[in-house]
Amino acid sequence: MKDQQSYFEKADFQSNLPKQFLVMFVAVLLVLLEVGLAQWPFFYGASPLLSLIFMYFIMIYHDELMPIMTVFIMGLIADFLMSDILGGRATALMLLSYAMRVGVLRLQQSDFMDLWVGFAVSCTAVMLFQLIVFTVVHFAVPSLSPLLFQLGFTLILFPIGFVMMFSIQRLLQTLQVMR
Amino acid sequence: MRPSDKAKVRHRRLVHVVLIALSFSLMFIGKADLVAMRDLRMSSNDFLAPVIDFVSAPIRGVETMAEGIRTVASLRAENVRLQAENDLLQRWRRRAEILESENQQLRSVTGTVSDEIRSLITARAVTAPGGSFAHTILIAIGNESGIAAGDPVITSNGLVGIVYEVGRAYARVLMISDINARIPVMLASSSWPGLTIGRNDEYLELAFLPAEARPEVGELVLTSGHGGILPAGLAVGRVDRVDGDDIRVRPAVEFRNLGYVSVLIGGTEGVDRSDLSQGSFFTPLPIDDDKRLLEGVNASGTRQ
Repeated sequence: MKDQQSYFEKADFQSNLPKQFLVMFVAVLLVLLEVGLAQWPFFYGASPLLSLIFMYFIMIYHDELMPIMTVFIMGLIADFLMSDILGGRATALMLLSYAMRVGVLRLQQSDFMDLWVGFAVSCTAVMLFQLIVFTVVHFAVPSLSPLLFQLGFTLILFPIGFVMMFSIQRLLQTLQVMR
Repeated sequence: MRPSDKAKVRHRRLVHVVLIALSFSLMFIGKADLVAMRDLRMSSNDFLAPVIDFVSAPIRGVETMAEGIRTVASLRAENVRLQAENDLLQRWRRRAEILESENQQLRSVTGTVSDEIRSLITARAVTAPGGSFAHTILIAIGNESGIAAGDPVITSNGLVGIVYEVGRAYARVLMISDINARIPVMLASSSWPGLTIGRNDEYLELAFLPAEARPEVGELVLTSGHGGILPAGLAVGRVDRVDGDDIRVRPAVEFRNLGYVSVLIGGTEGVDRSDLSQGSFFTPLPIDDDKRLLEGVNASGTRQ
């Protein structure tokens, strides 16, 4: 009886796996883009955290598409490519994703300004975590001005990224209805 | 909630905890600088560098286009400036030829052995520092071309850093602006030795200068060659600000526009390059020691 029940449960739902892979692909691509953006002299040493904007959006509206493994891989690749402390950003992002899962219902009901403030807090928390780990590991505090620039520019880009992702989401929903 | 859902939630929580623990422990394992971790980093560099290269091609394209537009707009002024600079350089060239000839004569008289000649390989910089916590770049050259950890990386303007991780086709360079970089230097006009320390910023800190040293704004800072890893006489930067003990150096190389760099190969035979981390190789000069040290200057700064 139990086997029969789990069989029907599996049959009820469509697998999210392809969508999760797609989200992971986009997330990794954004991490690579972040690294690439640093070649632009304007973003030297402080490229905006595009992957964090993406993660924040997906975690609020489609958290089932971003399993913790995706967040881990995203963070680890960023750590490797930026030669940061291995696991530093990965841990920060995973802790953030855990915290967001806990308060996802409240975030879903918030208006845009609240989301922006929430993102500012999240972004600051991620950077602060990395800064603390860096300071403990190296016994030295890096220059804070690039960090502040990175934080500020990421916050400025948040509305643009949010609107873009919202539009893409609406487009995909429309296409799904038409099909 | 169905039993299968409960199991799913439990499983998800377990994965969460395991991955966070793994990631947290990676921070300490990575710091331990194990050979396996270094190999993992190098392999990931080799694997991911071509992908970054591909992804950042449009960014480079836009940057090149913007640079082209800027150049066209200032073409006439640039031409006048270049002509003046060319005249000046020709005068300097004549002066350099005279000095080189004089230098050779003096070397032959004193019997000085010249430094080991190093060969030069040029490579493209694939990445630039993207974060505030590390100033490193990936270059498109690896151990296939014969480079090794510890090789200096330069441009025509001066020192960029040293190679510290080498993969098959890519290598990672620790820039002199990184917080872990310690470069033994000397002031060009007075020969006082010191160390430049990176701050993950656009400036370097000049430290461990003898108390008698009086660095001046605009003074050239060169590598001293102490330790044998870096050859003497590479331009590191110019003194930008002197505020008591706080001396700031602006790097000679404009790191924001690094397109191509050159790696100096060879010339360090017999030098132990196994540990280049954390500046342990570049020990500061002892304070209470009057032994003969760099350039005929002891630790108290007295010429001997």
